[in-house]
Amino acid sequence: MNIKLNKVLPHPLASIQHSEDSIWGNDVILKEGAKILLNASSGKGKSTFTTTVFGLRKDYEGNVFYDQKNIRDLNIDEWTLIRRKTLSVVFQDLQLFPELTVKENLLLKNNLSGDFSDEQLKEMLTQLGIPDKWEQQCGLLSMGQQQRVAIIRALIQPFKWLLMDEPFSHLDKKNTTIALDMIIKRCDELNAGFVLTTLGDHHGIEYDYELKL
Amino acid sequence: MLKKLLFQQQDKKQLFIAMIGAFLGITFLITSIHYLVKINKFGKGADILGPNTIIVQKKVGNSNTLGISKTDFTLKEIEKIKAEPFIKDAKPVISNNFDISLRTDDPMVPYFRTDVFVQTIDESFLDVDLKNWTWKEGDDFVPIIMPREFLVMLNTFMSAQGIPQVSDDLAKQIQFEFWLSNKDNSKKEDIKARIVGFTNSVSSLLVPKSFMEYGNKKFSDGKPQKITQIMISGEESEFGLVEQLLQKRGLETKNAQMVIGRLKSIVGTLFMVVLGVSIVAVFLSGLVLIQYMQLLISKNAYAVKTLLRIGYHPKDITRLFFLYFIKIFGIITVIGFVLFILLKFFIDKMFISGGLYIDTDITLISILALLIAYGLFAFSSFQTAKKGVFKKY
Repeated sequence: MNIKLNKVLPHPLASIQHSEDSIWGNDVILKEGAKILLNASSGKGKSTFTTTVFGLRKDYEGNVFYDQKNIRDLNIDEWTLIRRKTLSVVFQDLQLFPELTVKENLLLKNNLSGDFSDEQLKEMLTQLGIPDKWEQQCGLLSMGQQQRVAIIRALIQPFKWLLMDEPFSHLDKKNTTIALDMIIKRCDELNAGFVLTTLGDHHGIEYDYELKL
Repeated sequence: MLKKLLFQQQDKKQLFIAMIGAFLGITFLITSIHYLVKINKFGKGADILGPNTIIVQKKVGNSNTLGISKTDFTLKEIEKIKAEPFIKDAKPVISNNFDISLRTDDPMVPYFRTDVFVQTIDESFLDVDLKNWTWKEGDDFVPIIMPREFLVMLNTFMSAQGIPQVSDDLAKQIQFEFWLSNKDNSKKEDIKARIVGFTNSVSSLLVPKSFMEYGNKKFSDGKPQKITQIMISGEESEFGLVEQLLQKRGLETKNAQMVIGRLKSIVGTLFMVVLGVSIVAVFLSGLVLIQYMQLLISKNAYAVKTLLRIGYHPKDITRLFFLYFIKIFGIITVIGFVLFILLKFFIDKMFISGGLYIDTDITLISILALLIAYGLFAFSSFQTAKKGVFKKY
């Protein structure tokens, strides 16, 4: 699935002067399977990009298309299906359920597709260095630990695109590398692409192209 | 997990208070509806006359005896009574204007003869199959409705004769004969008769209108018959007003009839008040439960939004809230129904110890009221859950 931004300009960013190569106000295509870096400083609209493409906000000029379908025309049933099977997100604010355990947070997502066993989920936690947090309440974890749980949650659903909004902001280099490897491996498995927003750090990632804000 | 996420972190105090209110409301709602139906039914079927029906006459005082005032009703007076809003109908009672006696004509019972007083009331007041309430010249027998006192008297006579007493059903099998004649006995006729029902409300034998017209035409002295009694039927639960009307117009009736009417009115009014309070209680507690649901959805706004973002359908979340609340109302309804059964047990006992033998079956309408209350709550909770969840999309 290609994602096409047709002269999209979010209302809150309308007063800001954007560069000529900015995605805002221009025609941009996110090609299926591409690994894309979205590098920008604070306040340029990285989170706005994620939430707009994910269909959470509608306060923008222009149009966003999933292939030929304008996302403004998608109904609730279609959005539900897209969020289950086509688009996965790591939100900047993570959007975990702090009162639930790590296990419950992951199973809530995994129950929708049922692709992973408990053992596989635990293995992913082990890879990211938090094997003992399975029964731990999410709200009691550090931000870095929560970020790893949020990354795993995003990876365990089927998807064509993975949108990640500063997913490594609380991770050290070692865990970032492990997480990136897991992400790339999963994307390759699914022939999926990703958009990684970052505050300037490339995290040593090999990407297909970079978008500017 | 979803239940833990959405329902575990709640302050259940408000929910508990609303549940108590709803369950008390439900209990009193079905109890009051049940007893309203039972009280309205009370007395029906036991008498051949319709419910809330009485025969009234003018009070006889010295002025009547001296001939200053009359004890008969004019058609205008009857129309005035009929015009009262709480009076359903008022019709004259027609009496015989000829001599008539009744005697047994059955080998199974000893000979018994007595002069009688027969009357005809409008068919609309009778709770009887009208097909059996007809007579024409040449028919096998005249159907009669007998005052119950008459059967008591007949049984007393039978007992004195050493003959077994007769039940209502057996009495209906006995063959009777009317003996009709004019004043000077120049014209006579005997016509067979049979009891088709009993009444506690009338002291005379009731006969079909056609028989009365036949007798009055053939055997009366030609003077017009005066209307000294009228039959009136009042609206349910407004017998107090009927009683006031009787006092205002100097009328009287058999006390027992008024006592039952008054009793039904008082108890009926009491249960109406309870019903009104119960409806308000059920409505308010339902409203509190619905508001509690809105509050719960608002408190869970983050969880609901996030669930929708990770791929849950709003319908799935709506269903969770809906099922949670209809389960709560289901528990309330079941507890309310059990409490109603317990209350019913004690109230029925109280009625029986007070001499009121009401039918103890559970009324269908009270079950229906329960289902309607449950259905309305289910509908409102579904709409509230749907609105609350879809708004978060």
